[in-house]
Amino acid sequence: MATLERTQETAAGPRGFGKHQQEIIYRLIAYIVLSAGAITMLLPFFWMLSTSFKPERGIFVMPPQWIPDPFILDNYIKVWSQTDLPRAFANSAFIAITSTVGEIFVSTMAGFAFARLRFPGRRAFFGLLLVTMMIPGVVTMIPAFILFRFLNWIDTWNPLIIPLLFGSAYAVFMCRQFFMTLPVELEDAAKVDGANFFQIYWHIFMPQAKPIVATLLVLGIIARWNDFLGPLIYIRSVEKFPIPLMLARLNSLYERNWTLLMAGSVIALAPVIVLFFALQRYFVESIALTGIKG
Amino acid sequence: MAVSTSSQHLTARSPGPPLGRNEAIWGYIFIAAPLIGFIVFAAGPLIASLFLSFTEWDLLTAPEWVGTRNWAQVLALSVNELPRAFNEDGEALFECGREDVPESQLAEFQGQIDPRTRQPYVCTPAYVRPRDVLPRGYDAWFEFHLLGRQYIVGARDAVMWESIFNTVYLLLAIPISLVISLALAMALNQHIHGKNWFRTIYYLPTILPIAATALIWMWIFNPDYGLLNYALQGLGAPPSLSNVNWLQNRETVKPALMIMGIWGGLGYQMVIFLAGLQSIPRHLYEAAEIDGAGAWARFWNVTWPGLTPTTFFLLITSLIGGFQNFVQPYIMTAGGPYNASRTMVMNIWANAFRDLQMGYASAQAWLLGAIIILITVLNFTLARRWVFYEA
Repeated sequence: MATLERTQETAAGPRGFGKHQQEIIYRLIAYIVLSAGAITMLLPFFWMLSTSFKPERGIFVMPPQWIPDPFILDNYIKVWSQTDLPRAFANSAFIAITSTVGEIFVSTMAGFAFARLRFPGRRAFFGLLLVTMMIPGVVTMIPAFILFRFLNWIDTWNPLIIPLLFGSAYAVFMCRQFFMTLPVELEDAAKVDGANFFQIYWHIFMPQAKPIVATLLVLGIIARWNDFLGPLIYIRSVEKFPIPLMLARLNSLYERNWTLLMAGSVIALAPVIVLFFALQRYFVESIALTGIKG
Repeated sequence: MAVSTSSQHLTARSPGPPLGRNEAIWGYIFIAAPLIGFIVFAAGPLIASLFLSFTEWDLLTAPEWVGTRNWAQVLALSVNELPRAFNEDGEALFECGREDVPESQLAEFQGQIDPRTRQPYVCTPAYVRPRDVLPRGYDAWFEFHLLGRQYIVGARDAVMWESIFNTVYLLLAIPISLVISLALAMALNQHIHGKNWFRTIYYLPTILPIAATALIWMWIFNPDYGLLNYALQGLGAPPSLSNVNWLQNRETVKPALMIMGIWGGLGYQMVIFLAGLQSIPRHLYEAAEIDGAGAWARFWNVTWPGLTPTTFFLLITSLIGGFQNFVQPYIMTAGGPYNASRTMVMNIWANAFRDLQMGYASAQAWLLGAIIILITVLNFTLARRWVFYEA
């Protein structure tokens, strides 16, 4: 909008005509660069989709067909009925949803406390939590494995879910930033009414917290859906595999069967893409909330 | 009473009975879970892994204290000069193809055709074998030539050092990716129709499971029927460039992984750059224009200084992520061929969970953690020189 106003302004000026032309050329270059880039970004997805609807011998046709002929659904039927992918899909959904819901419940509570309650040591504890965000995961990976082994949690989903039920530093940080922005008067009325702080948190602050909860839900579910290293370390039995491990397994079982593997990839990507488009504005929100400012 | 309540509202709710005491108790209850989590899943393991790095432990028998042995094993490097090789008569040897040739017979080979390669012989000075020069327990890592002498660098764990080299090599994708994403963000920052669509398309790969996108790219890089070789043929590239087994060739595996990495990370950087661009005050551009600054001068004097904090943020986060690169090479190449794409985390993972060397892997994990922290600190120190925060 600002650019548009400016072009009109300069166009009206004495040297306006040259400027205006320059602007148009710049914008034309921008369109060309952006479109070429966007096509390059999307090509791998077209390639995946196109391959997934081809019969197996179809991939040997040169030049490659972008619109498969014949166009078949067999790969999807086969990958869904003859492999363990549906179970992996359910496993991933269960892990992602339980861990993220728990994470959000605990993190909003802690974020509320750090933003709205006064207690000795508040700053120090918050500082400790920020330090956690800076510890590279690879440093704690081995002792965490030993701890979970001691607890007999290897080859269960516990190591993937239970640590998140203690909240995550990142989510606590985001919630604190969010609750700080709410007006001071919010809790006062409730305090006068004699509500306790859990009631204040639950009945007054949580209804206001929908944007941050939605943001954390999207980010959390996607992060867990995509996680590979955690399941690789902790999960051994195929029937407990989440989606990414199952894809890696299909890759070794059906090597070179690209039509099948691409159908599997489409199934693995689909929920993330749907979630992304449905809740897209919360992604933008998450970028603003992490406090990135030029 | 009325005075005290109102002051409680206006000042930042100073603790006072009866709600105040409650407030502290509720506060501790609310933060208890994350704090316990911090101790059990972060601080505890952090300290435990430092302790583990001084032990040898295969999880089956009791851990054994070995002092600094793991660390010596990790860090030990040895640089030795490689002397020229001589035959029994004291004549300097040359390598022509696979033949060892004394200096006096060199003329017989030069200009001749090597039957193995069907190319003319190339003769280079021959040096003694690395293992005759390196201390016991050291393997050759790489050789280099300096001021007319040949040197060999050996390491107790040459594979680990190779994984460090690979990890750093793959980081070269970061500056490339930053330049591309900045250019795209600047293009997008103009009055563009379909801005949201462009942003969505570029951002999409960053949120998808790498396990799935890695499979797509393996298929693209396929030497026989892959999209990349086909496209290169279409562009008229010679067979040496369009008939490449991208992921199974030592020279091309890292560039191939970088291409996919750039595709997968570009959108995030672009969105952050865009936010940075939008926060640069309009009046600075207008002032520059009044001063007669051209497009390049405006970029260099307004855009770039305004974007340095953003660039700085992206550089740090990309480096931290890049040092922990694992999933992509694990799925696409399993670290191969010949360890050419083995990364540090892959090496740690293999040492810990495949070879069950928990202590030795912990030492490496701490080394990696130290590198990451060092880079963060170094970045912050250097940033003072070139980052302009708006006054």
